[in-house]
Amino acid sequence: MTATPQTSDLLPGFDHAAFDSNAVFRVLLDAMSRPGRIYDLPVQTVSPDGLNATATATLLAMTDMDTTIWLSPTCATKAASDHLKFHCGCPITTDVTQADFAVARIEDDLSFVTDLAVGNAEYPDQSATLILIVEKIENGPAMTLSGPGIKDTHSLAIKDLPQSFHAWRAENHHLFPCGVDVIFASPTQIAALSRTTRIEVN
Amino acid sequence: MEQIVKNPADGASAYNFAYLDEQTKRMIRRALLKAVAIPGYQVPFAGREMPMPYGWGTGGVQVTAAVIGPNDTLKVIDQGADDTTNAVSIRQFFAKTAKVATTEKTAEASIIQTRHRIPEKELREDQVLVYQVPIPEPLRFLEPRETETRKMHALEEYGLMHVKLYEDIARHGHIATTYAYPVMVDDRYVMDPSPTPKFDNPKMNDMAALQLFGAGREKRIYALPPYTKVKSLDFEDHPFEVQTWEDECGMCGARDSYLDEVILDDKGNRMFVCSDTDYCAERQEAGHRGPQHHDQPLGTSKREEAAE
Repeated sequence: MTATPQTSDLLPGFDHAAFDSNAVFRVLLDAMSRPGRIYDLPVQTVSPDGLNATATATLLAMTDMDTTIWLSPTCATKAASDHLKFHCGCPITTDVTQADFAVARIEDDLSFVTDLAVGNAEYPDQSATLILIVEKIENGPAMTLSGPGIKDTHSLAIKDLPQSFHAWRAENHHLFPCGVDVIFASPTQIAALSRTTRIEVN
Repeated sequence: MEQIVKNPADGASAYNFAYLDEQTKRMIRRALLKAVAIPGYQVPFAGREMPMPYGWGTGGVQVTAAVIGPNDTLKVIDQGADDTTNAVSIRQFFAKTAKVATTEKTAEASIIQTRHRIPEKELREDQVLVYQVPIPEPLRFLEPRETETRKMHALEEYGLMHVKLYEDIARHGHIATTYAYPVMVDDRYVMDPSPTPKFDNPKMNDMAALQLFGAGREKRIYALPPYTKVKSLDFEDHPFEVQTWEDECGMCGARDSYLDEVILDDKGNRMFVCSDTDYCAERQEAGHRGPQHHDQPLGTSKREEAAE
C-alpha cells in the first residue's frame, strides 16, 4: 500500500534554490551589517497564510533541519507550518526559549521576546533571531541608530512599533555580547537591528 | 530540499553552484550573520573539507562560497599579488564552480578574497573583503587551551596580551610585533587581524566595506561590519606605529604603499616593489615611474646617483 502524497495545497518555494537563497542572504548580510538601512526583497516568492513574502524568503534562505523555529500564534497557521516543514525541513516548536528563529507580527503580544535565547558569555552566538513582520519600514526620524555598521547615525521608522519594544532593546543592548538580533520584514523590504545598535527614540 | 541547478558550470556539472551544497552554505551564512552582529567575536562553524589543503585559504574559500552570487566579480590576492599560485588557483576555482567574473582590479571587484594584505586602494561600501585566517585566536600563543581563551574573551581578560606587548618593549625597546598585530574591536573583543602586516591595521578602522574572516582548519568565522572602531593595542608612551620605508617602489615610485624587498644579486643590491600588484600597475599606467622600471634609462636611477 502506498501513501498518496497530499501536495495539492503546497505552495512553491524558491524558483532557484542556490541563486534565490544567495540573493536573500546577501540582503540579510547587508542589512545586519548596516543596521537601519532598508533593502528591497530581491526575489519574488509566494507566502503562506500567516507570513509575508519577506519573512517567508528569509526563512527559506536561512533555516533547515538544524534550526528550530517558533511562530507566534497569529503566524502559526497550518499553511505556514506545512510550508516551512516541506521546504526547510525545520523543527517548529511551541517553546519560545528553544527558538533559533522566532517569527511574530508587530501587532502581536510581544511579551515573549524576553524569553528568547540570548546566548551566554562564552558563546553569545547561541542566541535567537527575531523576525518581526511589519507593515511598513521607512527612513523616518522615529529612531536614531548608531553603533557598528553605521556611519555617524541613521534614522529608521517602523509603523506601529510599541514603546515596550524600545525598553526591551535597551535591555538587550546592555547584555552585549549576548542578545537577540531583529530582522524587520515588511511585504517588500528588509531592515535589521543588530544587538550592537544603540537606539535613540525621538 | 535541493533543486537541480539549472545553469551548471561547464565541466563541473556534478557540483552545486559555488561548490558547497546549499545546507553547508546556510550553516556558514547563519554564522556570518552572528559574526557581523558580534563584531570581533569568533563564531564556531562546521568547516568542511575543501579540495585544497589547509593553509591554502579553505576558511576564506568557504566564506566566499557562501557569499558569492552569479552577479559578483571576484578578485583574489595573496600577499597583495593577483598572480601568485594561491590567488590564481582560488580565482580559477570560483570561475569554474560559480562561473563568476574575475578581475585583478580592486575597483572592479565586488568580493575580494585576500591572504595577508588589504588593498592599497580605499574600499567602497558595495565591496566585501574576505580574509583567509590561519590562527583566529589572538590569545592562542599565550594560552593554548580553547576553554581558557573562551573564558578570557567572555570576561574581557586581555591583560596577558598587554603583558606580551610590554615584554616586546622590555626586550627590544619597541613593540616588535609586525604582523597579526592584535586589535580591539568596538572596545570589546581583542581580534587577530590575520597575518596582515601592521601597516594595514589602520585601514580596518572605520572601513566602508564589510570585512569577513574565515579560518578553515580552526573552524571559526568572524567579522567587522562597516564603520566599526578597530584600534591596534598599544601603550600611551609606546603608541602604535606602522612600518615606513626610506625607499620608494622601484617600479612605480610609490611612497605610500607597503613595499616588498627583492634581492637582486649576491652583491647586496636590492630593490623595493609594491606588494599590491594592482596598485603598482595602475600607477605605472598613469605614468608614474620608479628608478628600476624597465623604461627608465640605465645607470641614472636616483639610488645610483646617491651612491656616487
